[in-house]
Parts: sequence; structure tokens; C-alpha cells
Amino acid sequence: MSTLSFNLRAAPTQLLDLSALIPSKLASLSLGDIARLPLGEGAEAMLAGDVFDIAGTPGDTVVISGGSPLLDYVGAGLDGGTVLVGGPVGAYAGRGMRDGKLEIGGDAGAFLASMAKGGFIHVKGSAGDYLGGARPGDKFGQLGGTVLIDGNVGERAGERMRRGVVVAKGKFGAAAGSRMVGGTLWTETGFGPLPGPLLRRGTLIGPSVDELLPTFADCGRIDPVILRILSRYIAETLGPLAPKALPASVRKLAGDRATIGKGEILLTA
Amino acid sequence: MSAITKNGVAIDDTFAEAFGMSGLGLVITADSPKWANICATVMTGFGTSVIGAGAECGIDRELSPDETPDGRPGVRVLMFGFSPDALVPQLRNRVGQCVLTSPGSACYNGLDSPTTLALAAGPRFFGDGWQTAKKLGNRRFWRVPVMDGEFVIEDTCGVTTDGVGGGNLLILGRDRAGLLEATEAAVAAIAKVDDVITPFPGGIVRSGSKVGSKYKGAIASTNDAFCPTLKGAVKTECSPDTVAVLEIVIDGLTSKAVADAMRAGLTSLIDNGAKLGVTRVSAGNYGGKLGQHHYHLKDLLP
Repeated sequence: MSTLSFNLRAAPTQLLDLSALIPSKLASLSLGDIARLPLGEGAEAMLAGDVFDIAGTPGDTVVISGGSPLLDYVGAGLDGGTVLVGGPVGAYAGRGMRDGKLEIGGDAGAFLASMAKGGFIHVKGSAGDYLGGARPGDKFGQLGGTVLIDGNVGERAGERMRRGVVVAKGKFGAAAGSRMVGGTLWTETGFGPLPGPLLRRGTLIGPSVDELLPTFADCGRIDPVILRILSRYIAETLGPLAPKALPASVRKLAGDRATIGKGEILLTA
Repeated sequence: MSAITKNGVAIDDTFAEAFGMSGLGLVITADSPKWANICATVMTGFGTSVIGAGAECGIDRELSPDETPDGRPGVRVLMFGFSPDALVPQLRNRVGQCVLTSPGSACYNGLDSPTTLALAAGPRFFGDGWQTAKKLGNRRFWRVPVMDGEFVIEDTCGVTTDGVGGGNLLILGRDRAGLLEATEAAVAAIAKVDDVITPFPGGIVRSGSKVGSKYKGAIASTNDAFCPTLKGAVKTECSPDTVAVLEIVIDGLTSKAVADAMRAGLTSLIDNGAKLGVTRVSAGNYGGKLGQHHYHLKDLLP
């Protein structure tokens, strides 16, 4: 297993697009070619060699030492292998990712995992707004894969998310699961105010909700088999990082009944 | 037919002739092993022979909670038919009538294969619009609201065309009760082999058949050569001391599994047979021209 390392020469001063720095795009390039890759578009775009000291051999792992909220599109389009970032990243990390692993040592910006179809993203800090969300022009947000957030999550996580699982050790901000079409948001701490506005299908799991929309209907306590399947799947996918298995019984709130209302908030406490 | 004798049991120098079949596997779980077994037993019921029952079905083995997608006790069942298409209505009816209806049940794919059948195509619509799906990794699970909670059924199940149907052992004895006991022990030994089922009642068939009949419309009729009550009247395969003959029919997902199962059954019969009155073990074939798979008993001896 060979590793290619990108060490930040200095803190960036402009937005950089790091979508070129994934193993499959670098595999056949020389270090010289890699240094000449533009990190963005237009005449002002900086080159990889201007921003990073590059060392190692192209292979299945890319390591980016340090980090900055100005590093956008980290691991975007990742289709195999691993991208490891030491510190924080900007917006759109893991966008359109299909396979492989993206590990972020600090916080992630907005739209983490938007349109991601597969793979695994682990953020050791917190995630910004619209985690797994659709940005303007996208039909859907996250489409698959698994995201693990050690910290908290911003507002409107799962905006028009369709598939996939997001697990947060911390708390989701306001309006998590907004306009969600499918998939699962699971928090070990709880949801902020008004989760699930216009939630069509999909599952929000957590111990508590700060404030509930009036368009969710209380279905009482249930013990569906799908909780066991989900717990087992997450345990197999995340290994030692997995949260504690879900309880056998949860309280179901069905909604959002302002739309088709086939989604659910499952309260574990 | 020459034979060699092992531990007092004669083994005919012949072969079992078996056919290529399509097979699929399902994992059925429930809240307890008891209910997983009830569901699997009913679901595989009336699944003895493709000729009259539409599919050959049986329980492969019980599964511990660690082996099932939902961490509950389960049972793996296998179904065999002439083709994947022929299995479709059997799958729909058996799952719809016997698994969906069984308290606490869930139904998952039990065979990894690139070719799949739509497992939930019928049962999910029982949800009348309230059904939802949850895709985790590459597997999609349908959740159908039912009166005891939710029926979970996986979207698709794998199907193989490498299955084999009709591996068999014919066991001849001079004591009917002892013969049944020895054959039961052989079925129990075969049950320990993965990827095979013995689809007849208790794994044993007493009405072995030959192809054709004197009557129009009957495609099979009694195997008179192995009927002890006719041994003076027809060209018999029975020995002079034969009182009864029982057959074990084996279907497997692979040819190797069928061979392993026949070897396990043969070993059990050689180990236990003589003292229970088993005199000979033979096998059924059609001269070798109909079936693609031939299992020679002499190659399967322990």
C-alpha cells in the first residue's frame, strides 16, 4: 500500500477545490504532473505544487496534512482507496463519493456527503449545515454510503437525502431531515428544534427532540425488526466506532403529515 | 450387478442419476427458534417433487442469532425448481401465504448469487401503500405494517442454475422398522451437510418411481423393480430377503454438496445399517442418458 502525502506549505488564503486529489485521479500521474494540477478553475487557480509539499508514491491512499475551512471538495468523487485529512475541511467534502474512505481530523463544512452514493466518511470534529443535503440544482442529497460524525451536526441535515446512513455522536441542529426522501439520521444525543419539515420517507433516530412539529403523529411504542437490522448493519460497517445498539423498543412519531407522511422520528429514550 | 460389502452392508456398483436444477435460499427469522421452525416448516410444506408440488423445498439448517441479518434465531430454507422462472410463482405463494402470515417472521436472501429473483415483489404490496424500504449497503429491506408490528422482507434473493436435484440412495432391508431407523439416521447425517435438502417427508420417500406408466396421462408410476411384494412377479432389483426399500432424495445448490451429502448418508448406513437389518444400498438411475450428474456409489465410499 503506497501513500501520497500533501503537506500544506502555509494556511490557504483563497478557496481551493481539492476534488483532483483522490487516489484514482492521481494513480497514473508523476509527482511533477500532480504538482501542476490546478486546485480550482480560472486563471487565478492555484496549482497543487503551490499549495502543498508533495511526497510519496501515488497509490490507494492520499494523506493531506493540516487542514483549513478553505479546502473545498475534499474527497469529492472518491471511488476507492482512502483520503485522510489531518484537520478541518470546507464545503462539499465527499460530494458524489462512490466508494472508499474519507477521514477528516477536524470539522467539516456545509454539504458534507452531498450526492454521495457509497463509501464511508468519518468526521472527527463536527459537520456544518446541509450534511448529506442537496444543493441548488441537485435532485437529491445523499444517495448512499455511511457518514459518522464524532461531534455535532449543523442545520437541515439530510435535506432531500434519499439513501444512506448518518450517525452522529453529538446533536443535530434545527430542521434535521428537512424534505428528506429516504435514508437514516441517527444521533446519540438528540435533535434540535423542528426536525423533519416536509419529511416524505426516511428515519430520524435519537433520544430526544427539542421541539416537535405539530404535523407528526404519535404512534406510540413499537419494536420493529428493522432496528435490529440497522444496529447490526452499523456495527458491521463501523466496527469499534459504532454507537451502542438501538433498544428493542422505541416511540414512533409518523410524519411529516404536511406531505405524504411516511417518514418517522424514532425516540430511543 | 456386482457389489462390495462394507461392514455387512452390500453397496451396489451403480450410480445415482441427477438433474440440473435452479435453486434459491432464504433466511427466515422469528422471535424464537420455535417460530422460525414453524414458519420454515409450513413454507417448505408440500414441496416434495417438482412433478406434482411445483418446487422441491426443505430446511437446510438452523441459524444462530449471529448468523442472521436481524440477530434473531433463524432457519435457512432451500427451494429448487426447473428454472428460475418456474420458481417465481412458488416463491410468491409460499412467502406470501406462509412467511408473511407467521407471527414475528422476517424473510431475507439466503444465497449470494449474481442472478436474483424479486423476493418482495408480491408481499410488499400487502402494505397497501404503507410499505417503506430501507436500503443498507447493497441490501434493500421492505417494511410492511402488519398486526404484530412490521414484516421485513428483503427486496431480492439470489438464485443459482448450478443446483442439482435427484441425488439419491436406495436402501434395502430385511426388517421394515430397522430399515426406517437406519434411514432416519442417514437423513440426520445428511442434514449436517450445508447447501442440501432432503425434500420428502422426514427426508425419506417410500414410493420410488419409474418413468412412464401403463395408464395414459401418468408420467411416473411405481418402481416395481424395487417393490418387495412383486419380487416374484417382475424383473426385480430386490434381494431374496428384501422386506422393504426406502429412498433418500437429495437436492443441493452445487454438485459437490450433493456428493458430500450422499457420502454422509452412505457412511451412516455402513456404520449403523447391518445391525438394523439394512442389507444393501443401491441408487436410482435411468441408464445414464437423462441426467447430467452421475454419482457412483463406489466413489463415495468412506
